[in-house]
Amino acid sequence: MTNASLAPRTGVDTPALKLTDISKSFGSTHAVKNVSLEVPRHEVVGLIGENGAGKSTLLKILTGLYQPDSGVIEADGRRVKFRRPQDAVAAGIGVVHQEQSLLSNLSVAENIAMNAMSSKDAATRYGFYRWKRLNQEAADILDRVGSTIDPRTKVSDLSFVDRQMVEIARALRVDEAIHAAPLVILDEPTSVLERNETAILEREIRSLREIGSVLFVSHRLDEVLRICDRVVVMRHGEVVADVRREEVTEEDLFRLMIGQESRARVRKGGSAVGAVAAIEAKGLGRKGQFKDVSFAVSPGRSLAIVGAMGSGRESVCRAVFGAEPVDSGALVVAGRPVQGWSMRRAVQHGLAYIPSERKVEGMVGGLSAAENLTLVHPREAAKGPLLRRKARMKAAEEWFEKLDVRPRDPSLPLGRFSGGNQQKVVMAKWLRAAELSVLILDHPLRGLDPGASQTVNDQIRAAQDDGAAVILLPDTLEEALEMADEIIVMRDGDITARFDLSVDSPTSLDLLEKMV
Amino acid sequence: MSKKALLEQPAALPATADGKAAPARRRPRNLWFTFGPFAVFLALFALVAVLRPAFLTGGGMAILAVQAATILLVALGQAMVLHVGSIDLSNAAIVIFAAIVLAQTLGPLGVLAPVVTLAVVALIGAANGFFVAFGQIPSFALTLGTLGILQAASLVISNATTVYATANGQLLAPLFGTALVGLPMAFWVGVVLAVGLWAFLRFTRAGEGMTAVGLNETGALFSGLRTRWFKVVAFALSGLLAGVAGMLVIAQAGAASSFGLGSDLLLPGIAAAIVGGTAITGGITNPINIVFGALTVALVPIGAAAVGVTPQAQSLVYGLVIIAAVALTMGRGHNEVVK
Repeated sequence: MTNASLAPRTGVDTPALKLTDISKSFGSTHAVKNVSLEVPRHEVVGLIGENGAGKSTLLKILTGLYQPDSGVIEADGRRVKFRRPQDAVAAGIGVVHQEQSLLSNLSVAENIAMNAMSSKDAATRYGFYRWKRLNQEAADILDRVGSTIDPRTKVSDLSFVDRQMVEIARALRVDEAIHAAPLVILDEPTSVLERNETAILEREIRSLREIGSVLFVSHRLDEVLRICDRVVVMRHGEVVADVRREEVTEEDLFRLMIGQESRARVRKGGSAVGAVAAIEAKGLGRKGQFKDVSFAVSPGRSLAIVGAMGSGRESVCRAVFGAEPVDSGALVVAGRPVQGWSMRRAVQHGLAYIPSERKVEGMVGGLSAAENLTLVHPREAAKGPLLRRKARMKAAEEWFEKLDVRPRDPSLPLGRFSGGNQQKVVMAKWLRAAELSVLILDHPLRGLDPGASQTVNDQIRAAQDDGAAVILLPDTLEEALEMADEIIVMRDGDITARFDLSVDSPTSLDLLEKMV
Repeated sequence: MSKKALLEQPAALPATADGKAAPARRRPRNLWFTFGPFAVFLALFALVAVLRPAFLTGGGMAILAVQAATILLVALGQAMVLHVGSIDLSNAAIVIFAAIVLAQTLGPLGVLAPVVTLAVVALIGAANGFFVAFGQIPSFALTLGTLGILQAASLVISNATTVYATANGQLLAPLFGTALVGLPMAFWVGVVLAVGLWAFLRFTRAGEGMTAVGLNETGALFSGLRTRWFKVVAFALSGLLAGVAGMLVIAQAGAASSFGLGSDLLLPGIAAAIVGGTAITGGITNPINIVFGALTVALVPIGAAAVGVTPQAQSLVYGLVIIAAVALTMGRGHNEVVK
């Protein structure tokens, strides 16, 4: 691999990356089975599949984290073996990981330089940074991806989409050091982005195609169809389809991924409006986050709050749940103003919060799924101070059946389940409580595959039908229009528009206009 | 279409294979967690028995249990604090403080003296917990401070001399005076408390809440648990158990001195908790295994002497045991994080 940079580049028709019959199993599980695919030069290839379809394993093989049991990888027409991540980098493969890996206390330029082979790098001398050069290089590469961030900015001061750009710039820098035509792998880059930010990223991906090729892993079928030239679908570790964009519809892709038809999406208004709002915010404000936020949600109704990054909507939700303090305004729960609000009191009043930081805030990974289920409102699973472990296990098994959680074993630590299955358990933990009156959902579908999304959506509706008021921070505007009875648009901490969907029928564009 | 039908998968697919693979992967770890401390004790015991056969015939087991009893109580308290993700550096100092208070009150108060002593030290422990949980002072720093305060307090109330329990000594005598199955009552008290704590952690809401706090405090907080009070309870238990250990000190020696200041119990206490399988990161504790942890730690000096380590170097052996045990525990924790 060492002299890859010196080797002559092969013809244009040689694919940038070619996999032949790659297999990898863990014990008796075939994570990846006989996968063959090609990423031609100057093309964007989409890779889709449910959680657990084998995408992540395949990516780990491509980045040298795992070695395949069998099969051949060819980069630029040459057979390669990736024993370590550095080997993949040397072959011109750069990855932007799903979970961001930037060091937030360092500057953009330092982050971009970080995973270059620094010892041989022009940006360092005797192990010291040559700052001018470092910043210049970073600025150049940011220019290429069309970003205007100052390389001296600290990463912690950047918005999410800007961080994503830095990640791409970093992947590019590595590649370009070696290859004129790099291959960038994007692992679900948009799952944490707001809609308008996604548009920026899409533009970037198209421009990446001009200089190299892209393997784009995503959950969002519409997006894949918009961005990619070709789409590879994986199911149960195998490639089940490899199609050109023009040949398929979103519906086709869904069917290929899941192996079934998707259900028609029907928008359904909430049930009868109760006399007393389940939750009411009166002029809530928190310095630097949001101000004068008022809304009321009745039992059985749902409110979606939309806004770009920095709109303060997450903060509002957390304040309602007692996870963040407020400086002004009042909160009225079931008609009664509350005082000394805290998360514990919120839970006691029947509020539920499904956080976007699932692993940290939503669950205790080391406890079993059954134990997680009764973490809130444990009284129902106990006799006085004593737990009723058997009854709880039985109840957990029923929930597992109901939500199709896999594997079907509630005694396993929740941390061992896949993201979608974890989210189902986190949902169930709140839904099982008889007290549930307000369900606050902070990006409930983030990172979930379509199958799990449907289950979670069904549960949200069921809770609503049972009389819970829902406050939703959706991932997409479509989700808001589909799920909500009322939509609030926020910008820079202010409410800029309100739509009652039983009266108005705004389009995504109407919403977007008020967001930016 | 039902959800089930939607996600129904043919046989022999990843999901089902996963279901089989996961418990298979889990078993070795549980095995070590359940029997590891016992196995370690057995191995060390066998080693000592081979090197010093006289240990078995000369009532060595009873001596070992006497040594282990105090360590066990300190370790159980430490384990409860470790369980909620904190550490209590002051609990060995509490032992000495409790012993001095007990020695001085045993005469005037009689039967009430142990009760008063335990109440006082439980309050001291609770105060530790209160400052950690509500004052948000890291437990390491706070209990280091408390350690200093208690040392000074012990020196002051004992007038910097050895305090003898002159009257009513017979009240505590049965702890070491009577035996069950050849082992002193004091040891069995520790065993009963260990079983009690095990049941507390496993079968009560509060116990499970404490486990949740130790494993992921933020997650517990967002589930509406009283995470702060759980910490107070853990520290109070640590103080209380240190108080019981103080009673053993008086029962055994009849006197307490502020000069040792319990430093000879701090390291063995932590070592016993960790050798007993307690994760230093919190949330993983089996109090019953700490019994074996304490026996192992008490056996270390005997084993060390058998292989020729001088008594002066005992602390060195404790230190090595802690480092080795943590290295082993962290290794296990590592597998959890790296996917």
